[in-house]
Amino acid sequence: MAVRESSRYLARAVPRAFVPSARQQVFLGRRNVSDEAPSRRLSDQLDELETASSLTTPVPETAAKSFDPVTRAKGRKTQLPRSRYQFRSPKYDRGPLHPHQPPPPSDPSSRLFVPGPFSLPRAQQTYNSTVASDILTLCYVHTPPGFKPPPKAPRLREWDDSSPYHKNRPLRGPRGGDVLRLLRKPIRFNNIPEVERITIHSYVKGAAQENSGWLHVAGMAVQAVSNVRVETFKSKASVATWSIAPGRDTVAVKAEMHGETMYHFLGKLIDVVLPRIKDWPGVKGSSGDSSGNITFGLEPEHVALFPEIEVNYDMYPPKMIPGCHITLHTTAKSDKDARLLLSAMGIPFYGKIVQ
Amino acid sequence: MSTGSNGARRIASLMRPSKLDSSVCRSCQESLGRRNYASAAAAAPSETTTTSSPIPSTSSATTPVYTINAGVVLSRPPQITRDLEPFEKAFHFYQKRLNERLALPFTKYFYYKRGTPADVDWKNKIKERRTPARDIGNYNAYDNDAWNDELLLGSKESEPEHLVEALVQDAESTANATSQDTSKKEEIPRPFSRVTEADKKGDHKSLNRLLSRTLYLLVQSKEGYWKFPSLPIEGDETLREAAERTLSQTAGVNMNTWMVGFHPAGHHVYNNRKPHVDQATGAAIHGEKTFFMKTRIMAGQADLSGSAEKLKDFKWLSKDEIPQYVLPQYYSNIKNMLADR
Repeated sequence: MAVRESSRYLARAVPRAFVPSARQQVFLGRRNVSDEAPSRRLSDQLDELETASSLTTPVPETAAKSFDPVTRAKGRKTQLPRSRYQFRSPKYDRGPLHPHQPPPPSDPSSRLFVPGPFSLPRAQQTYNSTVASDILTLCYVHTPPGFKPPPKAPRLREWDDSSPYHKNRPLRGPRGGDVLRLLRKPIRFNNIPEVERITIHSYVKGAAQENSGWLHVAGMAVQAVSNVRVETFKSKASVATWSIAPGRDTVAVKAEMHGETMYHFLGKLIDVVLPRIKDWPGVKGSSGDSSGNITFGLEPEHVALFPEIEVNYDMYPPKMIPGCHITLHTTAKSDKDARLLLSAMGIPFYGKIVQ
Repeated sequence: MSTGSNGARRIASLMRPSKLDSSVCRSCQESLGRRNYASAAAAAPSETTTTSSPIPSTSSATTPVYTINAGVVLSRPPQITRDLEPFEKAFHFYQKRLNERLALPFTKYFYYKRGTPADVDWKNKIKERRTPARDIGNYNAYDNDAWNDELLLGSKESEPEHLVEALVQDAESTANATSQDTSKKEEIPRPFSRVTEADKKGDHKSLNRLLSRTLYLLVQSKEGYWKFPSLPIEGDETLREAAERTLSQTAGVNMNTWMVGFHPAGHHVYNNRKPHVDQATGAAIHGEKTFFMKTRIMAGQADLSGSAEKLKDFKWLSKDEIPQYVLPQYYSNIKNMLADR
């Protein structure tokens, strides 16, 4: 078969070589008069190039062995002044015209530098290697050549100009409510849904009723679980039975995870914590804010199953370990796509699936 | 919308003369011919013009006839993480040490109560390795020599094996130091090897080989060519049904599989050198077109004993190994639907 195939293609390709091309063959290495100027002479520049890459040349064994930066630094008779080797970023931003500019945040000497990443999380690798391509195949919708999608009514409606007051009014909202839903575009290679961030939120009622210890413990627990600093929030609503007044009592902690931290948390949640919860049916199928963010709650005894809390469980006052709400924010535009993504990642759903 | 009106509309669309060329498949023609309420008004005037035009003839003399095959790309997804590049290892390690320099000191009092065996063990360990982190080697970020945070040539600290060993030994020494029973030595189980028995033996039929790569099932036809399992579509079954039948008829039913979606992920066209005449219909077959459905294997193993095509052999191969087995033309058609890892 291979021989046949190649001969066929050869027979097709040979006459093609002799057909005069419409485009003229141009010699691309064009030379100009200005190239001959001594400053731009190509041969001089080429002479400066090293023939071999420094990475390919092997380092001699003795040079590698004898290199000891600490003894070399200590062996110096006079120590260098600090300013010679340590750069300190300016403390304040004095504007773009100031001569002393801070380095970019990616520079380790910047005050805004955050180290990382420290690993390549397993959940992220699973997403990239398996889940993403499966979602792309699953969500493919075939449109035949020449297909034009039927015209849709505009999302914001015009006024019908029955009244003179309609002039210059902003457009009306959609029928049946004021909520303008997200536009769901067909899923292609460049908009496959993925987990964007995860939020852990914990409302600690005891913090207002009893003492602030509840909030401290909740903050420590959420911080341990999420690996990011928590934010605290005051109550917005008034709950008379719990004697909570708006704006007075600090009642909630929140941690927001992105990137590597997020994928580590997701992996822990899916593979360690959720399978160990007894009689847990899964995430409710009707959960979601209809724009691709799914929330579910964990009871205090479930939060205690996280390995970070389990290793020193004794350090947390047993009654004070908080329950929490976990929100999985995805880039999906509808809950259906978000559920598809999350169930592929390993989060179970139960009950009536609301799309 | 009720089913009755839908069915009536479908019949009407079949009755309507097709204004499309024959290169569009039947199901696509249906969806092109379907009219929405919104587009009905716009499409109405053009309807009269198309009825007068003659229907394009679809005779077998002008359009070449191909056998349509349903192929199955049965794959086992990666089971473990991939091996990191040397640069990634070095980068992650350097970032860990930078983090150690920039982070607040470890809050020992929260994790170890004074006077407990764990506290004594902690004190011994911190003297030895000079830092609370267990995986960054012997390095103290609060020392005068903290600037010396880069690894020297040939050091092993950034290797994942070294990291795992350091963590396991730390856990073992903690377990031994804090346990009541001093006579017994605690053993912390090491993680399983990333290289399996099947890798060492070169067993291409095992699903336990190359755990960090996607494996694809390839079968050898009785002529000796390697390909994905494929069989011609029979009657008016859909591609998905045909693919399911192909899988059960070639690789057996002893597998737990999941077919991803209803659309093919790729296709391969093979042209015969000379069109050969089909005995049953008398049509001249110009070649075959294979459409591949993506499938995942969950459990089980392929079994060729009951295969309809008298297949000789099967192998589970990664993307890198496939070009050694299949023809170059075949590989150039299938390579874009295979995962890199």
